[in-house]
Amino acid sequence: MSEFFYGIPNTEPFWTGLKTLHYVLVGLAGGMAVLAAILTLRQHPDRNRYLWLAGLFILLDMFVLWAGSSARWYFSQFWLFLSFEPRAPIWWGTWGLSSALASVGLILLKTWVPLLKRIPEMLLGTVMLVGGLVALAYPGIALVVNENRPVWNEMMLVIFPVTALLMVLAVAMLLGSAWARRWEVMAAAVTVALLVAYPLTLQGEAREHFMREGLLVYATAGVLVAVALVLFRNPRLAAGLGLAGAVGLRWMLVQVGQIQAPGL
Amino acid sequence: MARLAMLIDLKACVGCAACSVACKMENEVPVGGSRLWIREREMGTFPNLTVEYRPEQCAHCENPPCVPVCPTGATYQNEEGLVLVDYHKCIACSACVAACPYDARFISKAGYVEKCTFCAHRLARNEEPACVTTCPTYARVFGDLDDPDSDINKAIQAAGQGHVLRPELGLKPKVIYVNPPSKQGLTRKEAQL
Repeated sequence: MSEFFYGIPNTEPFWTGLKTLHYVLVGLAGGMAVLAAILTLRQHPDRNRYLWLAGLFILLDMFVLWAGSSARWYFSQFWLFLSFEPRAPIWWGTWGLSSALASVGLILLKTWVPLLKRIPEMLLGTVMLVGGLVALAYPGIALVVNENRPVWNEMMLVIFPVTALLMVLAVAMLLGSAWARRWEVMAAAVTVALLVAYPLTLQGEAREHFMREGLLVYATAGVLVAVALVLFRNPRLAAGLGLAGAVGLRWMLVQVGQIQAPGL
Repeated sequence: MARLAMLIDLKACVGCAACSVACKMENEVPVGGSRLWIREREMGTFPNLTVEYRPEQCAHCENPPCVPVCPTGATYQNEEGLVLVDYHKCIACSACVAACPYDARFISKAGYVEKCTFCAHRLARNEEPACVTTCPTYARVFGDLDDPDSDINKAIQAAGQGHVLRPELGLKPKVIYVNPPSKQGLTRKEAQL
């Protein structure tokens, strides 16, 4: 059987370039907000450094998201904040990132604006934690809701938050925070287990497509995280490898998963 | 409330693409994207050959997966069941493009999402969609599924059975095919109209 078309079916990848980069950066942004919130709630001495980092990653991610939109100069961008669409994962992601950013900003501004000192830090830390967790979870949910795209199956709900934590803890290790090491080892071990399990959950043409288009990057990402797991005596090298593996994995899953389910 | 739908008789469709051209003209669809296209399939081996021409477009599903994922409410379903886009609210996030199982949506050069509207602007003037009025073989019938006397219901009854694309997803699409030479994509379950 052969196929031809008159007119063009819209089968080109729709999330490319900056939009795919967002799926990587939102992990760093949300994960860093969670980390900064925990450090804030525990009054940890590293707190300020991670608050700045969380703010930086959130702003960078939001900028990338805005720059990647073809409607970037339209007023419609404001509708993200003027709408109430709780069924939409992106709506949750927007508010998760925004509330985390607002909390970060208010805590950091406390040093210079005495009026803000009245706001309890525990409250801001809790809001940041919730916002960060939402941002951490949202990319996986945004992919899974597309039932017609079988590569994005339920495993995304676990892979995206775990790889986000892997990236964030790797950054913490690169910055020399010794407390991150134990958690990074755990995140890397869980990631390796997920990488082994995930292909087994794919079926039929989705599995064939995944193996054909994504296996090289997937296997490389898996090897990088596995090597990181072995090399944890050299924290910076292990962190670098873990970070690279998680970035590659998230990028690849967003790109390769855009295949439509067979059936048309 | 009406349930507007489009019936396409695949036995009558000759793949001339007049509907596709009419759609482009009527809606000023830019080069690089299509609201409506024809899938041509050659099947079998000589001397038992069949060709199927299947026009495809937004199916204006009764349970549209593109509506709940829109973070700004730009994609919505109106009272007549048409799935439309409010361009002023669209942020071109492509969440709806990802959710559509028919590849019916694309980001236009103007920066927002485009798709078939069943020519809602023409319906407002009591005119049929451009693809329907243009079809030289009368392969397309447009009407209200809730009206038992409508042309579309009569056409479905005459054909005996209507099929929809990817019925297994449970979206209740409202582009209905009759007399399909091949049943690829149509046969996983009986169509629920």
